[in-house]
Amino acid sequence: MDSILQGFSLLFNIKVILVILISAIYGLFVGAIPGLTATMATALLIPFTFFMDPVPALVSIVTMEAMAIFAGDIPAALVRIPGTPSSAAYTQDSFELTKQGKAEMVLGVDVVFSVIGGLIGAFILMTAAPLLAEIAFKFTTFEYFWLATMGLSVTVMVSRGSQIKGALSLILGLFLSTIGVDITLGYPRFTFGSVELLNGINFIPAMIGLFGVSEVFRSVMEGELAYPIARVQARKIFKGMWKLCKRFKVNILRSGLLGTFIGILPGAGADIAAWIAYALSKRGSKEPEKYGSGSIEAIADAGTANNSCLAGAWIPALVFGIPGDSITAILIGVLFMKGLRPGPMIFERQPEILYAVYLSFILANLLMIPFGYLAIKSSSQMLRAPRNILMPGILIFCIVGSFAINNTIFDVGVMLVMGILGYFLEGNGFPVAPVVLGIVLGPIVEKNFMMSMIKTDWDMTQFFTRPISAILCVMTLLIWFFPLGGVLWRKIKSRARSRR
Amino acid sequence: MRWVGGFEFYGLMKRNDIIAGGMFIALGLFIFTQTHKFPSLEKGHPGPDLFPNLLAFLFIAFGAVLVFKAGKLSPQNTEPSFSTPKKISNALFVLGIVAIYVIVVNKIGFLITSAVLLFLLMKKLGVPFAKSVFASILITLFINLLFSKILRVPLPYGILGW
Repeated sequence: MDSILQGFSLLFNIKVILVILISAIYGLFVGAIPGLTATMATALLIPFTFFMDPVPALVSIVTMEAMAIFAGDIPAALVRIPGTPSSAAYTQDSFELTKQGKAEMVLGVDVVFSVIGGLIGAFILMTAAPLLAEIAFKFTTFEYFWLATMGLSVTVMVSRGSQIKGALSLILGLFLSTIGVDITLGYPRFTFGSVELLNGINFIPAMIGLFGVSEVFRSVMEGELAYPIARVQARKIFKGMWKLCKRFKVNILRSGLLGTFIGILPGAGADIAAWIAYALSKRGSKEPEKYGSGSIEAIADAGTANNSCLAGAWIPALVFGIPGDSITAILIGVLFMKGLRPGPMIFERQPEILYAVYLSFILANLLMIPFGYLAIKSSSQMLRAPRNILMPGILIFCIVGSFAINNTIFDVGVMLVMGILGYFLEGNGFPVAPVVLGIVLGPIVEKNFMMSMIKTDWDMTQFFTRPISAILCVMTLLIWFFPLGGVLWRKIKSRARSRR
Repeated sequence: MRWVGGFEFYGLMKRNDIIAGGMFIALGLFIFTQTHKFPSLEKGHPGPDLFPNLLAFLFIAFGAVLVFKAGKLSPQNTEPSFSTPKKISNALFVLGIVAIYVIVVNKIGFLITSAVLLFLLMKKLGVPFAKSVFASILITLFINLLFSKILRVPLPYGILGW
């Protein structure tokens, strides 16, 4: 109880509230502008969190991501371009409804169901994280090895498009994580005599490069986008929402739980949650023929799922130090920077920080109602923000942000190289998120494996005989064989059908 | 849009996939040439080289699968998905301008270098002259205020003190 009150007092002071308000506006702006993603927003936020106390730093990420994922729905409805990839699943439906003159209803559903989804996720985070932390106390290097391996496996399984390319992106991230002094002997690997590389590639400039600079490159390649923007009357957006909530109560619950679960899975984020919720929604719907040509049910489901996913992704990040999505991968970097080691110990030693995070999830989602309204009201101005001025601004921000962490120009070079890398990867269909997860999970996999082996004098059996370790091992194998099983099953079925 | 389905471009990339796969295979081979110099743990157990070797093997294996799969794509889908001369020149311009920025910022100083970078880039992207001047000065001053005055980052101010 004491720590809950402490959490309250950490959150409700003028400085933190100010941070929340600024982060909210920042998140709405970035989310609403196509081409600027929530992950990029997080990457650009880190240089600032570097100079903040832990609580405002974490709270700013919470608020920003909640607002950004919602705001991505605005251009989806008004100009048929998702503001962030998480709105892509239901962009078509949103815009079709707008063409039918129902833009107010779509945006109303976007706000209200995002809020509900976010609150469901927050509630599960608050109840599940402490319980999982109890279990996490029993974890040793063997269990962490399996957990990280599981994360790597999920990352590849859920990559959209080609899994081969997802795997190669991940391996590239893992390789980047091996640069620098190794943990067993302190031997410098792949540093080529550079003193700056001894500590490895600096995480923050790497993130800013991968997500920020690569986006600038892409934008200058695409040129100015001109699009007609549909008009909305913001004051009408909440009309009839109560009725829709009652009508879709089962959808809300299903997609809220599903989204949170996908968030918890290491490696799968809000965009995946929206796609899966959309597919499930269509399967369970009484009007599946409307999907793709303007289904409000689809928007309700997927819009709930992508926001509930956010809090879900914080669960493995806080409890095990294993990121749930690319945003929490960056978050883990921020935690370490703040001297907070993610893991069960935080739950024992600094519970007040966690309570502040939980509360901020609730607060951010409630704030989404007035802020969402304002964002929709000013949507046409936001969507007209001139990209040919914005992008140079973002570039200089990336440069100064990368420099600010260690005050070295070397890091700006790292940023540039990673920016080129990110640009080429994405331009050729290689997803970038697995690279980040690889960079974060790589040291966890390697360190825990090597420590386990040295502890047992290279006896592998403990990886399989320790009870929790064995369970995690089976779960990892299931992830590997689940899609394979699916393919086999379809083959058997089609063969049986052709015989008939 | 690019990310709407995420699938649109996958069919278009036969040639690019073969090049990418080849580059990953080359990276894998390169890692092997480095790791054999790494020391082992006592009793000859693998140490610093174990993980990179595994990754090198995976680079080669998955890279080969990528090349193989691309080889099976139908040839009418082989057109590259983007790149007109103007777009490429824009991207190279960004690359060049940041590289020059990195080299000269310590000598010339943050304020001038940043404003010039912003101005040149905005001009290149088609912003009118007066607007470019105004916006680049404004953004530079804003960032200077934010990072140097509020966050107290020691930005390089060069020989002129700017």
